[in-house]
Amino acid sequence: MRSIMRRALAPVAALTLVACSGGDDGKTAGAEAARPSSENLAVALKGEGDLDTLESVTTNSGLASVLEGVGPYTVFAPTNAAFTAGGDLTGEAAKAEAAALLRAHIVPGALTRQDIRAAIDRAGAGGAKMRTMADGMLTFTRDGETIVVTGPDGATARLTGDEELASNGVLQPLDGVLLKPAAPAT
Amino acid sequence: MKTTICLAGVLALALAAPGIASAQNNGRGHDNHGEDRGKGRGHDGHDNRGPDDRGRGHDDRGGGDRGNGRGQDRGPGRDDHGGGRQHARGPDIERQVEREVRAITGDVDRRRVVVDDRGPVLVLRREPDRGLIAGCPPGLARKHNGCLPPGQAKRIARARYDYLWDRRDDGYVYRYDDGYLYRMNQQGSLLGYLPVLGGALGLGNAWPAQYAYQPAPRYYVDYYRLNDRYDYRYADGVLYGLDPKTQAIGQVAALLTGQQWNVGQAMPTGYDVYNVPYAYRNQYADGPDRWYRYNDGYVYQVDPTTRLIQTAIQLLT
Repeated sequence: MRSIMRRALAPVAALTLVACSGGDDGKTAGAEAARPSSENLAVALKGEGDLDTLESVTTNSGLASVLEGVGPYTVFAPTNAAFTAGGDLTGEAAKAEAAALLRAHIVPGALTRQDIRAAIDRAGAGGAKMRTMADGMLTFTRDGETIVVTGPDGATARLTGDEELASNGVLQPLDGVLLKPAAPAT
Repeated sequence: MKTTICLAGVLALALAAPGIASAQNNGRGHDNHGEDRGKGRGHDGHDNRGPDDRGRGHDDRGGGDRGNGRGQDRGPGRDDHGGGRQHARGPDIERQVEREVRAITGDVDRRRVVVDDRGPVLVLRREPDRGLIAGCPPGLARKHNGCLPPGQAKRIARARYDYLWDRRDDGYVYRYDDGYLYRMNQQGSLLGYLPVLGGALGLGNAWPAQYAYQPAPRYYVDYYRLNDRYDYRYADGVLYGLDPKTQAIGQVAALLTGQQWNVGQAMPTGYDVYNVPYAYRNQYADGPDRWYRYNDGYVYQVDPTTRLIQTAIQLLT
């Protein structure tokens, strides 16, 4: 909700974004530069009500300072509902797991959806690949107009909602976690 | 015997600390950036990273007229890893790169973008074994077949997200417990351990005594705008800020991929999507004859056909 307010209060930036991303036809990337907000990724994360859990995971991991820094990074951000299967990663005992999970959802640089779609179109059936900060590989494919992301162990999720262009990267909301939970210990 | 071999291999890898590789050297030294690199702030077990070792490596980058002795420092001399010495660029490639650099500098705003024509591009590497420490972690006694008797390893919890800790298909078993990642063989004997981000390498914790690190190179200090409050060091894809008095981790400053980008060599896999920071998109836009990709503080120009890296570009304001 707050992000909507921010966009409403920044009509010039919003209009610029619309102008730049209109069509999303997979043209050569780069020249039509996106216009980010003045907020960094950590602030943008706090402003998204549907990403509260990820914000708590980030705080617990000790990586909030990374999202406040220069970057840039693109964070594939599981929504609150996406975290239900993996257990609580916000507690004291889960700090390392929280950090590892977050690294597996961050890639270097600023990736807009237009960039991702263009890369998928170039890559063909195999999909476009990006390496994460956990040294894993994400694969991007399309299902109609929806971008599907597959994690290194085969977990899949879809980009959902609106991307947030922060000052130091991009938040890309995701309807799932890009790692499969392990089987319970025996 | 098998365990002995494994332990020896782990020890060798653990001693091969995270290092700096040079992705490009234009050979003009690095007078104003090199002084505080590799000043031997490593722990006692890695005293070969001090100033005396500077310049021992990287003598294989071709172009004998390029010179690298004017105070530039590719760091700590811990460059005896295979990945970092893949600089088999001949003089022809080097000249080609320099021409490209000049072509680019003619177009860009020098106040915002500085093409690296003063010294080598520094790439903080990520070791395959992430600096795994051989032997038994603190509090566990060494047994004849490792630190734990077979079967007892089950005490180490299975993580919720198993992939977080499994390290590819290398035949070992990885488990996490209480701040450390443990590597075991299939029989459950512990072969080595690794402090992990958020665990033993979490905020407020002292740096584990045996865990190797690399002092943050000046370029990364400048690029990530790291302040003087902390001492910064790099390990396993992370830049940490440590309180200089307590040596406790006070900040996780940046995440890096640690991927190798060497001019003249192929672009690493996993960079299919255009990802250049907003501020540089007008200058470095993909086109039919050149791509640009961002990684760990640099933008790289890549030939779309051959996927060879043509130029590395610093992003310092």
